[in-house]
Amino acid sequence: MMHLIKYSLLTKLRNRSLIFWPLIFPFVLATVMYFSIGQIGEADFETVRAAVVADEGGELSGTESFSSYLEAMEESSDMMLAEEMTRKEALDALEKGEVDGIFYSGENPSLTVSTTGFAQTILQMVLESYMEGKETLEDVAALHPEGMESAVNQMGEYTDTVEQVSLGGRTTDGTAQFFYALIGMACLYGCFIGYSSAMEMQANLTPLAARRCAGPVHRLKMILAETAVSFGIHFVNMSLLLAYMKYILKLEFTGSFLEMLPAVFMGSMIGVTMGMFITSVGRMGEGVKIGIMIGVSMAMSFLAGLMNADVKNAVDRTAPLLNRINPAAVISDALYCLNVYDAPERYAQDMVILAVMCVLLTAGTYLLIRRERYGSI
Amino acid sequence: MIKIENLVKRYGNTVALDHFNLNVKEGEIFGLLGPNGSGKTTAINCMLALLKFDRGSIKIMGEEMAPDNYRVKRQIGIVMQDVAVFEELNVRDNIDYFCSLYVSDKGKRKELVEEAIRFAGLEDYRKAYPKKLSGGLLRRLNIACGVAHKPRLIILDEPTVAVDPQSRNRILEGICELSRQGSTIVYTSHYMEEVEQICTRIAIMDHGREIAVGTKEELKSMIKTGETVTIEAVILAGEELERVRELPGVYEVRYEGQTLTVKCTKGKHNLIHILNFLNEREIPFGRVFSELPTLNDVFLEITGKQLRD
Repeated sequence: MMHLIKYSLLTKLRNRSLIFWPLIFPFVLATVMYFSIGQIGEADFETVRAAVVADEGGELSGTESFSSYLEAMEESSDMMLAEEMTRKEALDALEKGEVDGIFYSGENPSLTVSTTGFAQTILQMVLESYMEGKETLEDVAALHPEGMESAVNQMGEYTDTVEQVSLGGRTTDGTAQFFYALIGMACLYGCFIGYSSAMEMQANLTPLAARRCAGPVHRLKMILAETAVSFGIHFVNMSLLLAYMKYILKLEFTGSFLEMLPAVFMGSMIGVTMGMFITSVGRMGEGVKIGIMIGVSMAMSFLAGLMNADVKNAVDRTAPLLNRINPAAVISDALYCLNVYDAPERYAQDMVILAVMCVLLTAGTYLLIRRERYGSI
Repeated sequence: MIKIENLVKRYGNTVALDHFNLNVKEGEIFGLLGPNGSGKTTAINCMLALLKFDRGSIKIMGEEMAPDNYRVKRQIGIVMQDVAVFEELNVRDNIDYFCSLYVSDKGKRKELVEEAIRFAGLEDYRKAYPKKLSGGLLRRLNIACGVAHKPRLIILDEPTVAVDPQSRNRILEGICELSRQGSTIVYTSHYMEEVEQICTRIAIMDHGREIAVGTKEELKSMIKTGETVTIEAVILAGEELERVRELPGVYEVRYEGQTLTVKCTKGKHNLIHILNFLNEREIPFGRVFSELPTLNDVFLEITGKQLRD
């Protein structure tokens, strides 16, 4: 048994394509996603700079109220930084790119920008918000002067009524969903290792397998050795990927590393046995089988939210059962439970589903590959 | 050693083995000769318990062959038609891996692997990976992997396909050496020269049946042809050609492009009769060849087609 394991391990570790898809590819993808999706949040909140030029016409009341509004905006968030300047200074600063726009205060404040973009849109929204509030107060003053004081107080106490919090109070990082789905996909990519094992065990698939099957090694022993090695390699792959995401990329995986391992453990087993199962079914060409494996794993990962987190939410709303039988979605959900929801019951439910999938796939695969005589070779 | 009775194997409507019978005795180098698609490899795969069959029985070493008959399997060595080795393992590790399927004792295995490397002439390639080996060396590795454990029965399925003459001779010599060491050999090929050269007994197969079995002498004695005489650069008239046909022992005459081919029955003076006739008529001629029948002649006469058709 030990020599079977030793040589199976050697052949698999020396097969570059076998290592690339289940290990290197998810690492590369995680890194690329980290530098693209993961950094969006930081880029979005770069402070927008604006110059404020007091109205030269001297309508003091309007100038003061708009300046007060801008000051309040600066105090409430880091979104905007406004600086009072003369008209000339402001125009110079705008030309040099030191500010994104110029507010001209007064009775009817206005905005001047030199280009269009995200920062300019924010400045425009700031101005529109002020104008709406101003109009509202003017209407109240004209129609219900007795309620003026109350209206001013309410507008002054305005706060954002929507606050993002997680159920477990752990993280609200929306991009984490992509990485959970990526782990689900990487688990399923174990199918490439399972494929290689099945190709070397089924006499009707390769001459090498036929030679092995003609030997005196008990079939079950061979299957056990191959499955153990394939699973072992993939589980190590997945543990490395998880550690890379948590400790090197420092993604917001607030659950402990050890807590996440069982989900990855079962995911690895499902990936490997799925590969063995697909390879052992029928006598399609190698290209077709690899195509099916890529198609199945990518479709499952897509539904689990790999490309767009809303897809998983949409499936949850419209066809919840699909996400309960999609291993990538269940793995992703289990990780979500650990890192976001802090929902041990749902996590346990996910683990039971994964365990059932594991047992069914392993049993089905065994029934297929235990064949000892073939109809044709 | 091997006894196959009434073996029938169908692939849908195609009959691959049609009541095939075979009896291989211990110590023989038994040749299974037949054109491509005659059922040789199917018969081998049935013998190895890899392939299901519809009817018949296969006994090896007195025991019914079955996938779980590991006692018998342990004493069989197999060399597949296609090279079946691990690309990721070097020469030594490949031989060690396949030997380890049969021999668990590490010390003994080490000796056997070294012996197999020497046997296949791969001493200089121990650490080489299969993709670095030439076609001939790869075939030799394929054979070394199949025989390293010194099996009692060795089945070689077309082991010399696409091999250069030097490697082919080495392989054929090696097979004779394995036989001298006590192994029984079953050797399938569609190269009749190889089979004639090394096999002690031969079965000729066609359409899933054995059509003739015996030593090469026995097979050749089964047919009418005793000798084929070929005479080049000879000019014959129609009447002279008729006279050649009437010579004693002659049963078939072909005359194409000034080359006369005469097939004669078994007899001692066939060539003399033909040459005397040409001398009497003062007919000039070029080179003269006389050939004894080949296995191809046997196949041709029994089936009406060439072995390599």
